[in-house]
Amino acid sequence: MIDNNEISIAKFCIDSALRQGASGARVSLTQSIIDSCMMLNGELDKVTHSADRSIYMYIYADGRYGTFSTNRLERDELEDFIGKAISMVRMLGEDLCRTLPEAGRTAKDARTGLELDLYDATIAESESGTRLERTDRISIYRDLTRKWEQDGYLIADGTGHEYRLISEECEYTESFEDNYVCDSNGFEGRHTETSFSAFCEMTIEDSEGNKYSGFWWDATPKFSELDLKGCSARALDKAVRQIGPKSRRGGHYRMVVDCNAASRLVSPLFTALNASSIQQKMSFMDDTLGKRMFPEGFTIMDMARTAGKAGSRLFDTEGVATKDAPIIEDGVVKQYFINTYMSNKTGLEPTVEDISRPCVMPYLKDEVLSLAEKDLSLEVIMKHCGSGVLVTGFNGGNCNPATGDFSFGVEGFAFSRGKVTHPVREMLITGNMIELWNNLIAAGTDARSSARWQIPSLAFEGVSFSA
Amino acid sequence: MNGNQYYLNIFKVTENQLKMLTDTALAHGGDFSDLYFEYTTYFNLLLKDEVVSSGGFHTDYGVGIRVLKGEKTGYAYSENTEMADMMQAAKAASAIALGTSGSCTYAPVRDKTYDLYPMAANWRARSAEAFLPFLKELEKEVFSRDTRIIKVIARMSDSVSDVMMFNSLGELTCDTRPMGSVTVTAVFQQGGKTENKTASRSFRMGAELIGPDLVRELSDEVVKGIDERFEATRPKGGQMPVVMGAGASGILLHEAMGHAFEADFNRKGQSIFSDRMGRQVCPKGVNVVDDGTVAFNRGSGNYDDEGVPAQKTYMVEDGILRSYLHDRISASWYGVPSTGNGRRENFRYNPIPRMRATYMESGEADPQGIIADVKQGIYVDEFSNGQVKIGEGDFTFFVKSGFLIENGRLTAPVKDINIIGNGPQALADIVAVGNDLKIDNGTWTCGKEQSVPVSCGMPTVLVSSLTVGGE
Repeated sequence: MIDNNEISIAKFCIDSALRQGASGARVSLTQSIIDSCMMLNGELDKVTHSADRSIYMYIYADGRYGTFSTNRLERDELEDFIGKAISMVRMLGEDLCRTLPEAGRTAKDARTGLELDLYDATIAESESGTRLERTDRISIYRDLTRKWEQDGYLIADGTGHEYRLISEECEYTESFEDNYVCDSNGFEGRHTETSFSAFCEMTIEDSEGNKYSGFWWDATPKFSELDLKGCSARALDKAVRQIGPKSRRGGHYRMVVDCNAASRLVSPLFTALNASSIQQKMSFMDDTLGKRMFPEGFTIMDMARTAGKAGSRLFDTEGVATKDAPIIEDGVVKQYFINTYMSNKTGLEPTVEDISRPCVMPYLKDEVLSLAEKDLSLEVIMKHCGSGVLVTGFNGGNCNPATGDFSFGVEGFAFSRGKVTHPVREMLITGNMIELWNNLIAAGTDARSSARWQIPSLAFEGVSFSA
Repeated sequence: MNGNQYYLNIFKVTENQLKMLTDTALAHGGDFSDLYFEYTTYFNLLLKDEVVSSGGFHTDYGVGIRVLKGEKTGYAYSENTEMADMMQAAKAASAIALGTSGSCTYAPVRDKTYDLYPMAANWRARSAEAFLPFLKELEKEVFSRDTRIIKVIARMSDSVSDVMMFNSLGELTCDTRPMGSVTVTAVFQQGGKTENKTASRSFRMGAELIGPDLVRELSDEVVKGIDERFEATRPKGGQMPVVMGAGASGILLHEAMGHAFEADFNRKGQSIFSDRMGRQVCPKGVNVVDDGTVAFNRGSGNYDDEGVPAQKTYMVEDGILRSYLHDRISASWYGVPSTGNGRRENFRYNPIPRMRATYMESGEADPQGIIADVKQGIYVDEFSNGQVKIGEGDFTFFVKSGFLIENGRLTAPVKDINIIGNGPQALADIVAVGNDLKIDNGTWTCGKEQSVPVSCGMPTVLVSSLTVGGE
């Protein structure tokens, strides 16, 4: 945890900057500890320990601005470092739009760092033996090899495909991050968070020598909520389900996107809603504020202040207070992400600088939804769609920020009558973001609770697939 | 390069203390340990909306300590070089040897050494003031090239890293690594449509990089092909012959094949090439190289991050798979010398096999003749966002620009499409290699677990069939 001495170092940086001629300054002090334990094929493979402590400074002087960082935190070194930083700032061009946020906009309720209930005190008791034992719990390698040694191969549930295991990689990581931010307008904020994560990647080989890999992960702020045991079985299932892929003819199909992959289709919207993209004329969402750009009933919220959930935060990197607010509501664009600089540049009212914890709300085309009444799981959505392509992962691609035109490689399965028929390979989707989202059929209720972005399974009409 | 004492002074240690640290790291029975000291200064400037209104500098300092027991790794680091803190990190890393079975022999490395990036002008000796006129001149020159330009964004950054490596074999290796990078983006508007283009250059060299030649080169490139970009459409998708233009197409080689040649994936049996050593993987005459010895190249290093001298490695020679890319761990496991590919982002990370400058050597075909031989296909010359699945070998690349090929001629411009294929299949489907190898000196960064600078290159190459995404 950041101690009082370290907080006094951060405040010293502010004082030093003002003393040496800065008109304003913000300092972000971060302390983090990360411990990881990795196993390869049931045996310990790598142990890493990381401990970081660094200062990031934003310095304003004579209508000019610069950013600086160091992990050398001795006061005499910092004094010299800040002096050089201010000298450099003074060499830059004047830009009066560079200012600290007004004190009235910064968070007042992030005093201890613990307000959002994202800290698990048990991390302090964890030691290397504990981490090794937890990593071992992720692994199912020994169970699999026992079966394999008996029969010479493994058999996939459901499909009956024979395969053998090439490798199992398991990783358990626990991390702690404490961030203290203060500025010369009197803002002080703190965010403290722990994270416990489990990861497994399985690589298998089918009877014809083709390799397939699948991975699964879970991550939570509290260890008690972490699903250690489920990772390997799910990773193996993902690998095995890919055996025997077939090419599918290109064309226009209904596309269902699994919740584990769906954020790829949401992130271009947030990039385009950022005032920086708009001001630089590189946004397909320019001049859309207050306009209906998406289907009626479609809503994305920023639930930044949900206690106990990863991704929540009380303030952004400027110290500006976050709030739970709609980004797109009933198809209408309700908010751009506008930091202080962009507000000063564009004259638009400032908001927050970017999304914290987006939540895509349940949606079913042409139907009025009541969340309590609808359980829109992936299976329900596929049944609703009938046939099409279920996308479970994206492989490369891009979205043109200026036009919204996109092309992504996809992997997944063909489905018919709501049921998966076979895996597909080497397929691409192309289209335009605005058009894609206006062809939304459904947004589910199955977003993974552990994810920072609450994006459920999605379904779209008439997506162009190439193969 | 400076003498060893220069580096010992920076990190405030003696050679005896280095030995004490590696001894401590091996206290529990590890086979090998090494220390990686790093002091990096990083500087950047941003020109936007006609003013250099943002910039800064950053420093990073610390030491990473690694212990190997067999192929198992223990790793810890300290952000200061006080002996007590380093000893604590050494003890943390040493724990890998507790309860771990197996052992490997790690042999000393002796090879030719290089001085690939002497700095005529040290970045650390220059202030921001020296570079402001350059960015303004670059902006002015770009604006002057095309009246449709409405915005110019220019960035420059430099870094200098002092690196000192010591290992339990007693090898002490030091290096000073400069890097200078400039990127310019122009936003164009025409008839209500907006397009943008970016050009960049990055080299391991000193501040002599900054000058009028670079202004001219970047300005030429950032406006080149913009007419076609406005006219470009998405072609009809499907399987077709693809001609990859010389230069930036090398990123396809990096992603689709290079990663699968990295020895860690092969040691674990995960790569599609893990059982193909010594076998024909592409047509005779094709040579694929990963090279750490190209002077001033972004991917080069006098030594890798395990103290192994720079090398040029033929992965594929005359169509036959000859070598994986090794760090010390995989080299020991395979019983071969390290190829000098053990690289890391900084002292916070343990080294793993990584590419440097990856390219295909020139063949004999005339590039125009290659295009002339294609009846119906696509020519691509600008890529981004490549991705590969190591086990399956499937890759996807986003094509920023290219042309249709109709009856042997480049016709309609195309953009915003993907090409998708399978690495080994694409290698096997190479039917012509041009005589025009070009290394692309853009700001390529590889993101396998950690970010490291790389570069890539290709001659003009024809692949008989790949899937092209389109309307």
